[in-house]
Amino acid sequence: MSKTIVINGKECAFDGNKTVLQIARDNGFYIPSLCYHPKLGPASKCRVCVVEVDGIRNLQTSCSLTATDGMIITTDSPRVLDAQRMVVNLLLANGNHNCMICERNGDCELQEAAYHLGIELPAFIVEEREDKDESGAFIVRDVNKCIQCGRCIEACNRLVVNEVLDFGFRGGHTQVVCDGNKPMGESTCVQCGECVQVCPVGALIEKKAIGKARSWEITKIRTTCPYCGVGCQQELHLKGDQIVRVKGVEGAKPNDGHLCVKGRYGYDFIYSKERLTTPLIKKNGKFEEATWDEALDLVADKFKQIIKESGPDAIACVSCARSTNEDSFYMQKLFRAAIGTNNIDHCART
Amino acid sequence: MDASIKKIIARYPDEKSAIMPVMQHLQRENKNFLNEDAMEEAARVIGCSKSKVYGVATYYTMFNTQPVGKFHLQVDTCVPGFLHGADAIVAHLEKKLGIKSGETTKDGMFTLNRVQDLGSCATGPVIQVNDRYFENMTIAKTDALIEALKSGKEPENDPSMTVISKCGILLNDRTQKDCRTIAFYKKNGGYQSLKKALTMKPADIIEEVKEAGVRGRGGAGFPAGMKWSFLPKNDSRPVYLICNADEGEPGTFKDRQIMEFNPHLVIEGIAISAYAINSKKAFIYIRGEFNWIADILDAAIEEAKKDGQLANVDIVVHRGGGSYVCGDETAQIESLEGKRGNPRVKPPFPANSGLYGCPTVVNNVETLSSIPFIIQNGAAGYKKFGNTNNFGPKIFGVSGHVNKPGIFEYPMGTPLKEILEASGGVKGKLKGVIVGGLSVAILTAQEAENLILDFDSCVKAGTALGSGGIMVVNDTVSIPELALRTIEFYHHESCGQCVPCREGSLVIEHKLHDLVHGKGKMEDIDLILHLTANIKGLTLCPTGEAFAVPIQAMVSKFRPEFEALVKR
Repeated sequence: MSKTIVINGKECAFDGNKTVLQIARDNGFYIPSLCYHPKLGPASKCRVCVVEVDGIRNLQTSCSLTATDGMIITTDSPRVLDAQRMVVNLLLANGNHNCMICERNGDCELQEAAYHLGIELPAFIVEEREDKDESGAFIVRDVNKCIQCGRCIEACNRLVVNEVLDFGFRGGHTQVVCDGNKPMGESTCVQCGECVQVCPVGALIEKKAIGKARSWEITKIRTTCPYCGVGCQQELHLKGDQIVRVKGVEGAKPNDGHLCVKGRYGYDFIYSKERLTTPLIKKNGKFEEATWDEALDLVADKFKQIIKESGPDAIACVSCARSTNEDSFYMQKLFRAAIGTNNIDHCART
Repeated sequence: MDASIKKIIARYPDEKSAIMPVMQHLQRENKNFLNEDAMEEAARVIGCSKSKVYGVATYYTMFNTQPVGKFHLQVDTCVPGFLHGADAIVAHLEKKLGIKSGETTKDGMFTLNRVQDLGSCATGPVIQVNDRYFENMTIAKTDALIEALKSGKEPENDPSMTVISKCGILLNDRTQKDCRTIAFYKKNGGYQSLKKALTMKPADIIEEVKEAGVRGRGGAGFPAGMKWSFLPKNDSRPVYLICNADEGEPGTFKDRQIMEFNPHLVIEGIAISAYAINSKKAFIYIRGEFNWIADILDAAIEEAKKDGQLANVDIVVHRGGGSYVCGDETAQIESLEGKRGNPRVKPPFPANSGLYGCPTVVNNVETLSSIPFIIQNGAAGYKKFGNTNNFGPKIFGVSGHVNKPGIFEYPMGTPLKEILEASGGVKGKLKGVIVGGLSVAILTAQEAENLILDFDSCVKAGTALGSGGIMVVNDTVSIPELALRTIEFYHHESCGQCVPCREGSLVIEHKLHDLVHGKGKMEDIDLILHLTANIKGLTLCPTGEAFAVPIQAMVSKFRPEFEALVKR
């Protein structure tokens, strides 16, 4: 049976077990939140998603508050906004949140919260700066922008299970560390980039995207990763016709945002000058450009000739691991039905 | 695997719980230094990631991930230490050793550090040397200590202070050499309550404790019997009992008095309570700095086992690693599971899902130590002490500006005046009193005049009884300086998990530092009040409130002192 809660006077119906934050989002209410990520669940750490609940004295974090029928919620009272403003101000106070040159400008959850709460400049500043960690092949870590939300750690330990990232130190010194505080490039990190995918701010960014495009210049194109048969869903960020970065598509099967190092960062090859753009046929010991018809005719003729001379079992096929299941199915169909052999294999079999 | 490590791991239902004890062992074996190899070894034997181990090692202050000298001198400069003159000891040591706090002498003999609260409040200044305490230090005694250490002699500690027990229930006669032994304890009626309890139905014990109205002595004052009755019925999971001995609230040093001198009392209390809640495994989570007290407890548990007293429950003494927040029950559970001491989001509450996801009760040492008396004398006997809703004996600790600081077991509801008289009266002119450990609101001399020391009266007076750690402040003390010490403690101890506590304590510390050092502005005072008002109730655990309340009280009650520091 459908239940209802009231948010800022509006009745919001919901089914099943949902948090107040989820229902608020479903109904178009903006509540700033920084540590919560749908994929990782509530963390209740940033304390910015607080709301007022009738009958409860203290403000409650909406990300962890399970809605119950009849609950009355206020998200925009002076008390709520004061608390939210203080939290965001505190985060801005102790970090190098220079939106002007930040890669995440326009696509940053902290910036969005500050904007909605009307914070132009942090009310107080505490200056403490540390060097960026640029040792990773594809990821740059900027601890001055980190808000210790812990999303990257959860992602690394719980989703990817690589167990590289964790919190080190304590209190105001708390920092995300790799393998006992090693530079990322010297750690066991495989640069899958799941941490970058979930980072709400500019603390973890794609090295190759630096200085390439502002968020508003980006066109997003959804596609399927070409690397293997899993079929991970990607979102290409393009400026013009150039890929600036690749993101996984959150909430889409099969990868729910996750990509591997190749899928996320290995896109340069498409711009390689050495890339084959037409079939090549070797004539007199040298490759020469050919049309597809010429190339396929040549292959078909050779197959026919071999079958005639030595029978179909003289031919075998090895399907590529980058092929989808559907492609591999057609491959075996072609070899079994058209060519007539069971010599079929797949390079990822062993 | 090393046999001693195997033995450590075998004590726990889950090997992850052994991370801290294993690292403590490895650090001891390696000249008090937990190097990278030791951390890798810990990760290997426990079976977890290197980052996990590093995260735990760097969370707790007692793990030295940098090399330290042969003698690691740590001077407690938190509020009680500050009131007892610890700064002069640090300054003297810096001069004498030719190093700054945080440094090591060139010959590698001494490392000097300021530390936050060692739980030796009445016997300050205190210097911790490796894992030993040296209390009641003076400049002359400090010199003697350094000379003794240099010449390889075993220095003597002087832990003397006033000890008065009006109730005679929790504190025993510590002047007796054998006061810690089971023979002494039994001679005075010890373990009779356990014997009686084992003839009772567990439900009846819970009823009796409920009826006695024992309110948790850790500071929150939550009724212990009620806490027990929250445990789910007909649940197949094991139940765990944790005795919270992580006393770390500045001004508090009461639990150690029971554990160090009357260890069998708390053990009997645990055995009875464990029987009442059907727990077969109990832990005593003791702060790591009290290592020698943990050894006393270990020895007493062995004695009790041999005497057949612990047939129903296995008690494990677990040493913390130096973290105030681990006094919070969910942080303590996390810590006991071998993790960083970050408090958990509630619900679920420990009664339903605590240690290893099982039903768990966490009770303070003093609370559990009152259980044998209740069983022996009934709720009625317990209620002879104290006032309505605030029954039983209470251990008060008095530190700061009194003539005879010490420990006082008086009935709940005793007037503050009486306790101050018992501690030799105020030294100089009284300016303010903090009665419940550092996390409660300071009272001005006038507000404290007729204060009754029980939970409800203190709330009525605008403060809290908390742990009963009373810190007396005379008019030589600058309140802004006191406020700075206070926030330094909480900022140092903040787990860092939630923003208002982690960042709020940092900004307040910066602003107070500026004010105390003549660099502050008038608006800083309002900013501090704005922050404390908003932080209260906004944090994930009570730590935010623990500093917001006292800072707000100090600033608002003594505002002219803060304003006077602003240069016009």
